[in-house]
Amino acid sequence: MSKVNKTVQEKMVELNGLVSWFQGEEFSLEAAVEKFETAEKLAAEIEHDLQKLKNDITVVKQRFDREVA
Amino acid sequence: MDDVLLSVSDFVALTNQTLEFAYPTVSLVGEVSEYKVIQGKWVSFKLKDEGAVVSCFGSVFQLRTPVQDGMKIVVVSQPRLNQKGYFTLNIRSLKPVGEGSIKKGFELLKAKLAAEGLFAAERKRALPRTPQHVAVITSTESAAYADFSRIINERWGGLQVEVAHTQVQGDPAADQIIRAINYFNGQETLPEVLVIIRGGGSAEDLATFNDEPLARAIASSRIPTLVGVGHEIDHSLADMVADVRAATPTHAAETLVPDRQEIVRATRTQVESVGNIVLRAIEQQRLRTKEALDGALRRTDEHIDRINERVRGLRLILAELDPHQVLRRGYALLRGSTKVGGQLQIETATQILTTEVKDVKSK
Repeated sequence: MSKVNKTVQEKMVELNGLVSWFQGEEFSLEAAVEKFETAEKLAAEIEHDLQKLKNDITVVKQRFDREVA
Repeated sequence: MDDVLLSVSDFVALTNQTLEFAYPTVSLVGEVSEYKVIQGKWVSFKLKDEGAVVSCFGSVFQLRTPVQDGMKIVVVSQPRLNQKGYFTLNIRSLKPVGEGSIKKGFELLKAKLAAEGLFAAERKRALPRTPQHVAVITSTESAAYADFSRIINERWGGLQVEVAHTQVQGDPAADQIIRAINYFNGQETLPEVLVIIRGGGSAEDLATFNDEPLARAIASSRIPTLVGVGHEIDHSLADMVADVRAATPTHAAETLVPDRQEIVRATRTQVESVGNIVLRAIEQQRLRTKEALDGALRRTDEHIDRINERVRGLRLILAELDPHQVLRRGYALLRGSTKVGGQLQIETATQILTTEVKDVKSK
Protein backbone atom coordinates (compact mmCIF):
# COMPACT_ATOMS: atom_id res chain seq x y z
CA MET A 1 0.00 0.00 0.00
CA SER A 2 1.11 3.48 -0.70
CA LYS A 3 1.88 5.37 2.48
CA VAL A 4 2.00 8.70 0.66
CA ASN A 5 -1.42 8.20 -0.89
CA LYS A 6 -2.85 7.20 2.45
CA THR A 7 -1.59 10.45 3.83
CA VAL A 8 -3.40 12.29 1.05
CA GLN A 9 -6.57 10.48 2.02
CA GLU A 10 -6.05 11.31 5.67
CA LYS A 11 -5.57 14.93 4.71
CA MET A 12 -8.74 14.85 2.63
CA VAL A 13 -10.65 13.35 5.57
CA GLU A 14 -9.21 16.01 7.87
CA LEU A 15 -10.13 18.77 5.42
CA ASN A 16 -13.68 17.41 5.15
CA GLY A 17 -13.85 17.39 8.95
CA LEU A 18 -12.75 21.03 9.07
CA VAL A 19 -15.30 22.02 6.42
CA SER A 20 -18.01 20.25 8.44
CA TRP A 21 -16.92 22.21 11.52
CA PHE A 22 -17.35 25.47 9.62
CA GLN A 23 -20.84 24.39 8.56
CA GLY A 24 -21.81 22.98 11.96
CA GLU A 25 -23.19 24.23 15.25
CA GLU A 26 -19.78 24.40 16.94
CA PHE A 27 -18.57 27.15 14.64
CA SER A 28 -17.18 30.17 16.46
CA LEU A 29 -15.45 33.18 14.97
CA GLU A 30 -12.77 33.05 17.62
CA ALA A 31 -11.62 29.56 16.52
CA ALA A 32 -12.44 30.05 12.81
CA VAL A 33 -9.33 31.92 11.77
CA GLU A 34 -6.95 29.26 13.04
CA LYS A 35 -9.01 26.48 11.52
CA PHE A 36 -9.23 28.33 8.22
CA GLU A 37 -5.46 28.62 8.11
CA THR A 38 -5.19 24.87 8.79
CA ALA A 39 -7.69 24.15 5.97
CA GLU A 40 -5.74 26.36 3.55
CA LYS A 41 -2.50 24.58 4.44
CA LEU A 42 -4.10 21.15 4.05
CA ALA A 43 -5.54 22.05 0.64
CA ALA A 44 -2.13 23.21 -0.54
CA GLU A 45 -0.52 19.99 0.71
CA ILE A 46 -3.20 17.81 -0.94
CA GLU A 47 -2.64 19.61 -4.24
CA HIS A 48 1.10 19.19 -3.96
CA ASP A 49 0.88 15.51 -2.99
CA LEU A 50 -1.60 14.68 -5.75
CA GLN A 51 0.57 16.25 -8.43
CA LYS A 52 3.64 14.23 -7.47
CA LEU A 53 2.07 10.77 -6.84
CA LYS A 54 2.79 7.96 -9.32
CA ASN A 55 1.09 4.61 -9.73
CA ASP A 56 2.92 1.33 -9.23
CA ILE A 57 1.71 -1.03 -11.96
CA THR A 58 3.08 -4.59 -12.08
CA VAL A 59 2.13 -7.51 -14.25
CA VAL A 60 1.93 -10.62 -12.07
CA LYS A 61 4.24 -13.47 -13.01
CA GLN A 62 1.56 -16.10 -12.51
CA ARG A 63 0.44 -17.68 -15.79
CA PHE A 64 -3.25 -18.38 -16.31
CA ASP A 65 -3.10 -20.44 -19.48
CA ARG A 66 -3.06 -23.56 -17.31
CA GLU A 67 -4.42 -24.49 -13.90
CA VAL A 68 -2.90 -22.34 -11.12
CA ALA A 69 -0.65 -24.49 -8.97
CA MET B 1 -10.43 -58.88 -42.18
CA ASP B 2 -12.62 -61.35 -44.08
CA ASP B 3 -11.23 -64.34 -42.21
CA VAL B 4 -11.16 -62.68 -38.76
CA LEU B 5 -14.12 -63.53 -36.64
CA LEU B 6 -14.88 -60.80 -34.09
CA SER B 7 -17.30 -60.77 -31.26
CA VAL B 8 -19.76 -57.89 -31.26
CA SER B 9 -18.02 -56.37 -28.25
CA ASP B 10 -14.63 -56.70 -29.98
CA PHE B 11 -16.09 -55.06 -33.08
CA VAL B 12 -17.40 -52.12 -31.05
CA ALA B 13 -14.04 -51.78 -29.27
CA LEU B 14 -12.10 -52.01 -32.55
CA THR B 15 -14.37 -49.47 -34.19
CA ASN B 16 -13.87 -47.08 -31.28
CA GLN B 17 -10.07 -47.55 -31.49
CA THR B 18 -10.22 -46.75 -35.19
CA LEU B 19 -12.43 -43.73 -34.61
CA GLU B 20 -10.15 -42.49 -31.83
CA PHE B 21 -7.13 -42.80 -34.12
CA ALA B 22 -8.86 -41.20 -37.10
CA TYR B 23 -10.81 -38.52 -35.18
CA PRO B 24 -9.30 -37.80 -31.74
CA THR B 25 -11.66 -34.84 -31.75
CA VAL B 26 -14.01 -33.59 -34.38
CA SER B 27 -15.74 -30.22 -34.59
CA LEU B 28 -19.14 -30.20 -36.24
CA VAL B 29 -21.51 -27.35 -36.90
CA GLY B 30 -25.23 -28.01 -37.10
CA GLU B 31 -28.66 -27.25 -35.71
CA VAL B 32 -29.85 -28.70 -32.41
CA SER B 33 -33.01 -30.79 -32.24
CA GLU B 34 -34.59 -33.12 -29.68
CA TYR B 35 -32.56 -31.49 -26.89
CA LYS B 36 -33.06 -33.32 -23.57
CA VAL B 37 -31.61 -33.15 -20.07
CA ILE B 38 -31.55 -36.57 -18.41
CA GLN B 39 -31.70 -36.87 -14.60
CA GLY B 40 -30.30 -33.33 -14.34
CA LYS B 41 -26.84 -34.67 -15.19
CA TRP B 42 -26.74 -35.63 -18.83
CA VAL B 43 -27.73 -33.97 -22.07
CA SER B 44 -28.56 -35.53 -25.41
CA PHE B 45 -29.64 -33.98 -28.68
CA LYS B 46 -29.46 -34.44 -32.40
CA LEU B 47 -27.19 -32.27 -34.52
CA LYS B 48 -28.46 -31.93 -38.03
CA ASP B 49 -28.12 -30.13 -41.32
CA GLU B 50 -30.06 -30.42 -44.57
CA GLY B 51 -28.58 -33.82 -45.42
CA ALA B 52 -27.73 -35.70 -42.22
CA VAL B 53 -28.21 -36.06 -38.49
CA VAL B 54 -25.99 -37.36 -35.66
CA SER B 55 -26.66 -37.99 -31.96
CA CYS B 56 -24.71 -36.10 -29.35
CA PHE B 57 -24.29 -36.97 -25.69
CA GLY B 58 -22.52 -35.28 -22.82
CA SER B 59 -22.55 -33.97 -19.25
CA VAL B 60 -24.57 -30.93 -18.18
CA PHE B 61 -21.40 -29.52 -16.63
CA GLN B 62 -19.71 -29.36 -20.02
CA LEU B 63 -22.24 -26.78 -21.25
CA ARG B 64 -20.99 -23.24 -20.79
CA THR B 65 -24.12 -21.81 -22.29
CA PRO B 66 -27.72 -23.00 -22.36
CA VAL B 67 -28.83 -24.83 -25.52
CA GLN B 68 -32.25 -25.04 -27.11
CA ASP B 69 -33.74 -26.72 -30.17
CA GLY B 70 -33.16 -24.71 -33.30
CA MET B 71 -29.87 -23.17 -32.16
CA LYS B 72 -26.88 -23.44 -34.46
CA ILE B 73 -23.87 -24.69 -32.53
CA VAL B 74 -20.35 -25.98 -32.94
CA VAL B 75 -19.73 -29.19 -31.05
CA VAL B 76 -16.21 -30.30 -30.24
CA SER B 77 -16.57 -34.02 -29.66
CA GLN B 78 -15.23 -37.50 -29.92
CA PRO B 79 -17.14 -39.98 -32.14
CA ARG B 80 -18.07 -43.22 -30.39
CA LEU B 81 -20.01 -46.34 -31.13
CA ASN B 82 -21.80 -47.29 -27.91
CA GLN B 83 -22.48 -50.77 -26.57
CA LYS B 84 -26.00 -50.69 -27.96
CA GLY B 85 -24.69 -50.09 -31.46
CA TYR B 86 -25.66 -46.44 -31.70
CA PHE B 87 -23.19 -43.96 -33.09
CA THR B 88 -22.87 -40.83 -30.95
CA LEU B 89 -20.66 -37.84 -30.56
CA ASN B 90 -19.38 -37.53 -26.98
CA ILE B 91 -19.40 -33.80 -26.30
CA ARG B 92 -16.23 -32.11 -25.07
CA SER B 93 -17.46 -28.58 -25.53
CA LEU B 94 -20.00 -26.66 -27.51
CA LYS B 95 -20.82 -23.08 -28.29
CA PRO B 96 -23.47 -21.25 -30.29
CA VAL B 97 -22.45 -19.84 -33.68
CA GLY B 98 -24.12 -17.28 -35.88
CA GLU B 99 -25.69 -14.08 -34.66
CA GLY B 100 -29.12 -15.58 -33.97
CA SER B 101 -27.88 -18.52 -31.93
CA ILE B 102 -25.35 -16.48 -29.98
CA LYS B 103 -28.15 -14.07 -29.11
CA LYS B 104 -30.46 -16.93 -28.19
CA GLY B 105 -27.81 -18.50 -25.94
CA PHE B 106 -27.21 -15.11 -24.35
CA GLU B 107 -30.91 -14.57 -23.65
CA LEU B 108 -31.34 -18.06 -22.19
CA LEU B 109 -28.38 -17.66 -19.85
CA LYS B 110 -29.41 -14.13 -18.95
CA ALA B 111 -32.86 -15.37 -17.94
CA LYS B 112 -31.31 -18.20 -15.92
CA LEU B 113 -28.91 -15.95 -14.02
CA ALA B 114 -31.60 -13.31 -13.51
CA ALA B 115 -33.88 -15.97 -12.00
CA GLU B 116 -31.09 -16.76 -9.53
CA GLY B 117 -30.90 -13.07 -8.59
CA LEU B 118 -27.34 -12.57 -9.82
CA PHE B 119 -28.18 -9.20 -11.40
CA ALA B 120 -30.11 -7.92 -8.37
CA ALA B 121 -29.29 -4.36 -7.35
CA GLU B 122 -29.06 -5.34 -3.67
CA ARG B 123 -26.10 -7.63 -4.49
CA LYS B 124 -24.09 -4.74 -5.90
CA ARG B 125 -21.24 -3.52 -3.73
CA ALA B 126 -19.93 0.02 -3.89
CA LEU B 127 -16.35 0.60 -4.96
CA PRO B 128 -14.03 2.64 -2.72
CA ARG B 129 -13.82 6.28 -3.81
CA THR B 130 -10.04 6.28 -3.79
CA PRO B 131 -8.74 2.70 -3.83
CA GLN B 132 -5.10 2.06 -3.06
CA HIS B 133 -4.72 -1.54 -4.23
CA VAL B 134 -6.47 -2.84 -7.34
CA ALA B 135 -6.22 -5.93 -9.52
CA VAL B 136 -6.74 -5.85 -13.27
CA ILE B 137 -7.47 -8.80 -15.56
CA THR B 138 -6.95 -8.16 -19.24
CA SER B 139 -4.68 -8.78 -22.18
CA THR B 140 -1.64 -6.62 -21.50
CA GLU B 141 -1.03 -6.54 -25.26
CA SER B 142 -4.35 -4.84 -25.97
CA ALA B 143 -5.02 -1.22 -26.85
CA ALA B 144 -7.73 -1.29 -24.18
CA TYR B 145 -5.12 -1.97 -21.49
CA ALA B 146 -2.85 0.78 -22.85
CA ASP B 147 -5.76 3.26 -22.68
CA PHE B 148 -6.75 2.08 -19.22
CA SER B 149 -3.19 2.48 -17.85
CA ARG B 150 -2.73 5.90 -19.47
CA ILE B 151 -5.98 7.20 -18.01
CA ILE B 152 -5.42 5.97 -14.45
CA ASN B 153 -1.92 7.47 -14.56
CA GLU B 154 -3.31 10.79 -15.76
CA ARG B 155 -6.14 10.83 -13.26
CA TRP B 156 -4.66 9.49 -10.04
CA GLY B 157 -1.49 8.41 -8.26
CA GLY B 158 -0.26 6.22 -5.44
CA LEU B 159 -2.16 3.18 -6.69
CA GLN B 160 -0.74 -0.30 -6.40
CA VAL B 161 -1.99 -2.08 -9.52
CA GLU B 162 -1.51 -5.81 -10.09
CA VAL B 163 -2.25 -6.93 -13.63
CA ALA B 164 -3.03 -10.50 -14.69
CA HIS B 165 -2.41 -11.11 -18.37
CA THR B 166 -4.97 -13.45 -19.96
CA GLN B 167 -6.50 -14.04 -23.32
CA VAL B 168 -9.70 -12.05 -23.70
CA GLN B 169 -11.20 -13.88 -26.66
CA GLY B 170 -11.27 -17.39 -27.99
CA ASP B 171 -12.06 -20.66 -26.26
CA PRO B 172 -9.36 -20.59 -23.53
CA ALA B 173 -10.10 -17.00 -22.51
CA ALA B 174 -12.97 -17.62 -20.09
CA ASP B 175 -11.07 -20.26 -18.13
CA GLN B 176 -7.96 -18.07 -18.01
CA ILE B 177 -9.98 -15.14 -16.66
CA ILE B 178 -11.64 -17.43 -14.09
CA ARG B 179 -8.18 -18.61 -12.94
CA ALA B 180 -7.05 -15.01 -12.61
CA ILE B 181 -10.18 -14.15 -10.60
CA ASN B 182 -9.49 -17.09 -8.29
CA TYR B 183 -5.82 -16.07 -8.03
CA PHE B 184 -6.65 -12.57 -6.80
CA ASN B 185 -9.44 -13.83 -4.54
CA GLY B 186 -6.98 -16.24 -2.95
CA GLN B 187 -4.47 -13.56 -1.98
CA GLU B 188 -3.81 -12.96 1.69
CA THR B 189 -4.34 -9.23 1.27
CA LEU B 190 -7.23 -8.79 -1.11
CA PRO B 191 -7.16 -5.97 -3.63
CA GLU B 192 -9.95 -3.45 -3.03
CA VAL B 193 -11.28 -3.68 -6.59
CA LEU B 194 -11.06 -6.33 -9.30
CA VAL B 195 -11.18 -4.77 -12.77
CA ILE B 196 -11.85 -6.84 -15.89
CA ILE B 197 -11.46 -5.03 -19.20
CA ARG B 198 -11.49 -5.78 -22.89
CA GLY B 199 -11.84 -3.53 -25.91
CA GLY B 200 -14.49 -3.72 -28.59
CA GLY B 201 -14.94 -6.62 -30.97
CA SER B 202 -17.44 -8.75 -32.83
CA ALA B 203 -20.20 -10.64 -31.03
CA GLU B 204 -18.10 -13.81 -31.28
CA ASP B 205 -15.03 -12.00 -29.88
CA LEU B 206 -17.04 -10.82 -26.89
CA ALA B 207 -18.76 -14.19 -26.40
CA THR B 208 -16.12 -15.03 -23.76
CA PHE B 209 -17.87 -12.57 -21.46
CA ASN B 210 -21.19 -14.38 -21.84
CA ASP B 211 -19.72 -17.61 -20.52
CA GLU B 212 -21.71 -19.06 -17.61
CA PRO B 213 -18.78 -20.19 -15.40
CA LEU B 214 -17.10 -16.81 -15.92
CA ALA B 215 -20.28 -14.94 -15.02
CA ARG B 216 -20.59 -17.07 -11.88
CA ALA B 217 -16.92 -16.51 -10.96
CA ILE B 218 -17.41 -12.73 -11.22
CA ALA B 219 -20.64 -12.90 -9.22
CA SER B 220 -18.98 -14.88 -6.44
CA SER B 221 -15.80 -12.78 -6.26
CA ARG B 222 -14.95 -11.68 -2.71
CA ILE B 223 -13.37 -8.60 -4.24
CA PRO B 224 -15.84 -6.01 -5.57
CA THR B 225 -15.78 -6.13 -9.37
CA LEU B 226 -15.69 -3.49 -12.08
CA VAL B 227 -16.17 -4.82 -15.61
CA GLY B 228 -15.69 -2.79 -18.78
CA VAL B 229 -16.04 -4.87 -21.93
CA GLY B 230 -16.48 -3.72 -25.52
CA HIS B 231 -18.17 -0.50 -26.49
CA GLU B 232 -21.00 1.42 -24.90
CA ILE B 233 -23.65 -0.56 -26.79
CA ASP B 234 -22.23 -3.96 -25.85
CA HIS B 235 -23.84 -5.69 -22.89
CA SER B 236 -22.30 -8.88 -21.57
CA LEU B 237 -23.36 -11.16 -18.76
CA ALA B 238 -19.99 -10.46 -17.14
CA ASP B 239 -20.81 -6.78 -16.75
CA MET B 240 -24.38 -7.55 -15.67
CA VAL B 241 -23.20 -9.65 -12.73
CA ALA B 242 -20.38 -7.23 -11.85
CA ASP B 243 -20.79 -4.89 -8.93
CA VAL B 244 -20.17 -1.96 -11.25
CA ARG B 245 -20.48 -1.92 -15.03
CA ALA B 246 -18.32 0.40 -17.08
CA ALA B 247 -19.37 1.06 -20.66
CA THR B 248 -15.80 0.75 -21.97
CA PRO B 249 -12.28 0.12 -20.61
CA THR B 250 -11.72 3.91 -20.69
CA HIS B 251 -14.86 4.41 -18.66
CA ALA B 252 -13.64 1.70 -16.25
CA ALA B 253 -10.47 3.74 -15.60
CA GLU B 254 -12.57 6.88 -15.06
CA THR B 255 -14.88 4.97 -12.70
CA LEU B 256 -12.02 3.39 -10.77
CA VAL B 257 -10.19 6.53 -9.69
CA PRO B 258 -11.12 10.18 -9.28
CA ASP B 259 -9.48 12.85 -11.39
CA ARG B 260 -6.74 14.50 -9.35
CA GLN B 261 -7.43 17.83 -11.09
CA GLU B 262 -11.06 17.59 -10.00
CA ILE B 263 -9.96 16.83 -6.45
CA VAL B 264 -7.64 19.84 -6.50
CA ARG B 265 -10.47 22.03 -7.83
CA ALA B 266 -12.90 20.61 -5.25
CA THR B 267 -10.36 21.18 -2.47
CA ARG B 268 -9.85 24.80 -3.54
CA THR B 269 -13.62 25.27 -3.67
CA GLN B 270 -13.93 23.81 -0.16
CA VAL B 271 -11.35 26.26 1.18
CA GLU B 272 -13.02 29.15 -0.65
CA SER B 273 -16.38 28.14 0.78
CA VAL B 274 -15.07 28.08 4.36
CA GLY B 275 -13.31 31.41 3.67
CA ASN B 276 -16.69 32.81 2.66
CA ILE B 277 -18.24 31.35 5.82
CA VAL B 278 -15.61 33.20 7.88
CA LEU B 279 -16.20 36.44 5.95
CA ARG B 280 -19.97 36.12 6.41
CA ALA B 281 -19.47 35.43 10.12
CA ILE B 282 -17.23 38.50 10.42
CA GLU B 283 -19.81 40.63 8.57
CA GLN B 284 -22.60 39.31 10.82
CA GLN B 285 -20.49 40.04 13.90
CA ARG B 286 -19.77 43.55 12.56
CA LEU B 287 -23.47 44.15 12.00
CA ARG B 288 -24.33 42.82 15.45
CA THR B 289 -21.69 45.10 17.03
CA LYS B 290 -22.93 48.09 15.02
CA GLU B 291 -26.51 47.35 16.06
CA ALA B 292 -25.44 47.11 19.71
CA LEU B 293 -23.55 50.42 19.48
CA ASP B 294 -26.45 52.08 17.67
CA GLY B 295 -28.78 50.82 20.40
CA ALA B 296 -26.52 52.12 23.15
CA LEU B 297 -26.24 55.50 21.41
CA ARG B 298 -30.01 55.64 20.93
CA ARG B 299 -30.63 54.84 24.60
CA THR B 300 -28.06 57.51 25.65
CA ASP B 301 -29.77 60.11 23.42
CA GLU B 302 -33.14 59.21 24.88
CA HIS B 303 -31.74 59.57 28.40
CA ILE B 304 -30.26 62.98 27.57
CA ASP B 305 -33.59 64.04 26.03
CA ARG B 306 -35.42 63.01 29.19
CA ILE B 307 -32.96 65.04 31.34
CA ASN B 308 -33.31 68.05 29.05
CA GLU B 309 -37.08 67.78 29.33
CA ARG B 310 -36.87 67.79 33.14
CA VAL B 311 -34.47 70.77 33.05
CA ARG B 312 -36.91 72.66 30.83
CA GLY B 313 -39.74 71.94 33.31
CA LEU B 314 -37.63 73.08 36.25
CA ARG B 315 -36.66 76.21 34.40
CA LEU B 316 -40.34 77.00 33.80
CA ILE B 317 -41.07 76.48 37.51
CA LEU B 318 -38.10 78.63 38.42
CA ALA B 319 -39.29 81.31 36.01
CA GLU B 320 -42.71 81.27 37.72
CA LEU B 321 -41.00 81.81 41.08
CA ASP B 322 -38.81 84.70 39.90
CA PRO B 323 -39.84 87.94 41.95
CA HIS B 324 -39.11 90.20 38.98
CA GLN B 325 -41.75 88.26 37.04
CA VAL B 326 -44.24 89.17 39.85
CA LEU B 327 -43.19 92.83 39.74
CA ARG B 328 -43.73 92.85 35.93
CA ARG B 329 -47.30 91.76 36.56
CA GLY B 330 -47.86 95.02 38.57
CA TYR B 331 -47.10 93.93 42.08
CA ALA B 332 -44.56 95.70 44.35
CA LEU B 333 -42.14 94.68 47.07
CA LEU B 334 -42.21 96.50 50.42
CA ARG B 335 -39.13 96.72 52.60
CA GLY B 336 -38.60 98.62 55.86
CA SER B 337 -40.48 99.33 59.14
CA THR B 338 -44.27 99.04 59.30
CA LYS B 339 -44.56 101.19 62.42
CA VAL B 340 -46.13 104.67 62.30
CA GLY B 341 -43.42 107.09 61.30
CA GLY B 342 -41.27 104.33 59.89
CA GLN B 343 -39.90 104.42 56.36
CA LEU B 344 -40.87 101.94 53.69
CA GLN B 345 -39.12 101.23 50.40
CA ILE B 346 -41.54 100.29 47.59
CA GLU B 347 -40.00 98.44 44.62
CA THR B 348 -42.06 98.16 41.42
CA ALA B 349 -40.98 96.71 38.09
CA THR B 350 -39.54 100.02 37.02
CA GLN B 351 -39.13 102.11 40.16
CA ILE B 352 -38.00 102.13 43.82
CA LEU B 353 -40.00 104.55 45.98
CA THR B 354 -39.36 105.60 49.59
CA THR B 355 -42.36 106.56 51.77
CA GLU B 356 -43.33 107.13 55.40
CA VAL B 357 -45.92 105.06 57.38
CA LYS B 358 -48.68 107.29 58.61
CA ASP B 359 -51.21 104.88 59.99
CA VAL B 360 -51.28 101.14 60.82
CA LYS B 361 -54.52 99.17 61.22
CA SER B 362 -55.05 95.53 61.79
CA LYS B 363 -57.20 93.64 59.23
